[in-house]
Amino acid sequence: MSKMKDSKKKFTFTTEKFLILIIVLYCIVVTCVNPGFFSAATLFDMIKSSAGSMVVAMGLLLVIITGGIDVSFTAVAISSGYIATTIMMNTGINNIFFGFAIAIIIGIVLGLINAVLIHVTKMEPFIITLATQSIFHGCLTTFVGTKNIGSVDIPTAITKFGGARLFTMTDEYGNKTGLSIYILIVIAVVALTWWIMYKTMLGRSVFALGCSAESARRAGFNSWKTHLFVYAYIGMLGAIYGMLSIGGVNACNPVSMVGTELTIIAAVIIGGAKVTGGSGSILGTLLGVFIMYLFNQTLVFLGFSSSWNNLFLGVVLIVSIVITSYQERRKNRRLFIFTE
Amino acid sequence: MEKNVLVATNISKSYVGVRALDKVSVTIKEGEVKCLAGENGCGKSTFVKLMSGVELADKGEGTIVLNGREIDKSKHNVISAINEGIQVIYQDLSLFDNMTVAENIALNKMIKEKRKLTNKKEVYEIAKAALEQIGVEMDLDAIIQEISIANRQIVAICRALALDAKLLFMDEPTTALTKKEIERLLDIVRALKAKGIAVVFISHKLDEVMSVADSITVFRDGKLVKNMEKDEFDVKKLVYYMTGREVEYSHYERKNTSDAPVLELKNMTKTGQYNNINLSVRAGDIVGLTGLLGSGRTELALSVFGLNPIEKGEICLNGKPVKIGSPVDAVRNGIALLPEERATQGLLLNKDMTDNVSVAILKQMTNAVGILNKKKRYDLANQMIKRFRVRIPNADTLIKTLSGGNQQKVVLGKWVASEPKLFILDSPTVGVDIGSKSEIYEQIQALAAEGMAVIIISDEVEEICANCNRVTVMFQGNIVKEFDEADMKGEDAQDKITEAIHSLTKSKAGKESETV
Repeated sequence: MSKMKDSKKKFTFTTEKFLILIIVLYCIVVTCVNPGFFSAATLFDMIKSSAGSMVVAMGLLLVIITGGIDVSFTAVAISSGYIATTIMMNTGINNIFFGFAIAIIIGIVLGLINAVLIHVTKMEPFIITLATQSIFHGCLTTFVGTKNIGSVDIPTAITKFGGARLFTMTDEYGNKTGLSIYILIVIAVVALTWWIMYKTMLGRSVFALGCSAESARRAGFNSWKTHLFVYAYIGMLGAIYGMLSIGGVNACNPVSMVGTELTIIAAVIIGGAKVTGGSGSILGTLLGVFIMYLFNQTLVFLGFSSSWNNLFLGVVLIVSIVITSYQERRKNRRLFIFTE
Repeated sequence: MEKNVLVATNISKSYVGVRALDKVSVTIKEGEVKCLAGENGCGKSTFVKLMSGVELADKGEGTIVLNGREIDKSKHNVISAINEGIQVIYQDLSLFDNMTVAENIALNKMIKEKRKLTNKKEVYEIAKAALEQIGVEMDLDAIIQEISIANRQIVAICRALALDAKLLFMDEPTTALTKKEIERLLDIVRALKAKGIAVVFISHKLDEVMSVADSITVFRDGKLVKNMEKDEFDVKKLVYYMTGREVEYSHYERKNTSDAPVLELKNMTKTGQYNNINLSVRAGDIVGLTGLLGSGRTELALSVFGLNPIEKGEICLNGKPVKIGSPVDAVRNGIALLPEERATQGLLLNKDMTDNVSVAILKQMTNAVGILNKKKRYDLANQMIKRFRVRIPNADTLIKTLSGGNQQKVVLGKWVASEPKLFILDSPTVGVDIGSKSEIYEQIQALAAEGMAVIIISDEVEEICANCNRVTVMFQGNIVKEFDEADMKGEDAQDKITEAIHSLTKSKAGKESETV
């Protein structure tokens, strides 16, 4: 044991450090090529556009830590967002809180449906949520409608919410930029997720379930409750994601969003969450999503077309998971466990 | 007055058609250390499951009294068992690998108290209190994944203590531990006993059991066959009750006359692991390689099998130097390794007998165009089942359903099929019951008699003495003592080897106290 205490804290090249390194290097390169990149406007813009993804990524992180996965969250997002917008228009209640409340209720219900199906059928969460993604989106387009709600028809409360800023600045060309209030929602969700993960028994059960479902059962954790919680949570965050994107583009297209879920899943995995469950961090996840949007929005500054985006993201994904698994393999080798 | 923690009377348990436990009565006193002994499938695990509430005992006859109160047998469950202070430490320990020592100790208690929130300070306090009870210090922030198996076990014990355990069942607690770690564990058991906590061991290792237990209860075929008190302990009798027959290990003597070595290790060195090792093994030799953990024996064996690159020195096979950089090279050169971790490194648990025995020689199992031949594989599997007397319904049976002893026979069969020239066996009878043990010994000796060169790595001096015609003792990376054939024929060989290992531990302990 004394040996354990004596061993110096060696520098380990964690996923988070790798991501920060990439972000810093990339920003330096882009700034050198195009000094126009390094501005408050770019940053504000990026925060606003990535806010929804960051919010939903928090829910996805918890799901992935339990050893599960959810690919239906984009369908949940657009379904709850579209229905909430439609209800706002039909009832004439032009209040953003009302819209959020409707969307969140729908999101939680859809999330609970996922949880029940996964827990009762004991099937792979991937298969179940792949199916519910089609079901949710199918129900939306079949029973609610496929009509695009444009910026003219959309409730003014949503327009106002989407354009609201904490403060506004005017740059040298007279363009107004500012920090969107979206950042408050991101901060609130991140803080809530952190509190749940590290300060509640529920959060511990999320980690425990992902470590070993059998051990969690023997310890007396209720896996049924944990499943209900994580899928309802991502359902709720999915609904917020939906409302944020609708507000962001000031329009609501029921056939948008679905199909983009894998990019966000990739971002969470880039952030170091293990798909086998049991580990993952909030910082890593935020960095993962940030990198995704960094490429998305700034490759144009380097003179690349947006189609380069996926290529970059793929490379970062591979390097980041290789780092995570290499660290583990080296550790195992020291303990004479040969996994390769 | 002595109080009884648990009194079970006439308890039975039937699974579909099979009577796993037949009217068993067991009494466990406060502060008693009891051992449940018996071969695989004798009913001892079933008994533990019934007491810990994982499964329900048969209705009707039979009572369970816990802490002086009779409980409702039909409503006993895991939670009510925990509330009565019954704790089970399973062989896999059921720890959360990604969490810290402190959290692993404290979480179960917090769940029991139906807590909603957690905070670091309280988690630390619970963990510290539990560790103090057994007088052990440990880094509370260490992640379970990064600490040794022995320390993980202590974490599991502390977790039980945090839950106010009155009766602790430990399933095979010593299989993964070295001699020194076992001593430490037994010390902890004594400390628990002094606090009035009853401990029930379920173990195959008779010498350890007898050194610490107050009583031994022997099960066979679901029935309780014998209760032994401390003053009537006797290995021979115990083995007889467990197996229902007398078991005597035959001593191996080399008959082969060729003196040419099959394997020669010359000046093998790897910094921090082993140092200047010279060893030769002839055809028909069974060389025992023993020593404490950290002696370098496993590391050396892994190097010979290509899993642990060597720094200096030479490996010669049949007089020719060879380069072994990976297990592929090793197998090509006719070296086989039976690993210590049978389940993860030696077997395809989710595959059947046929797949497992043919996996090392798939190239010979194909037809002219390289497609696997079903009949060839079945013939091989059936041949191995017969040869090693594997108790298995048929060749299509999944390996994970077999007992430890039978699984080990399958690993043996797999490598024997590849007809190796050198066979390294790392702890070949870990988790294997006594009946299968003697069968495995017979097979190893038969292989050597046919001219195979064999190395057995083992902690069990008895195992080494029964099987090996030569023994090498390692300590901190060096060969410190070698016993040749004449030495091994002597009556006192077993004592001498034990002494060789023991004296080194003492001098090591002496050195440590000096440096402190």
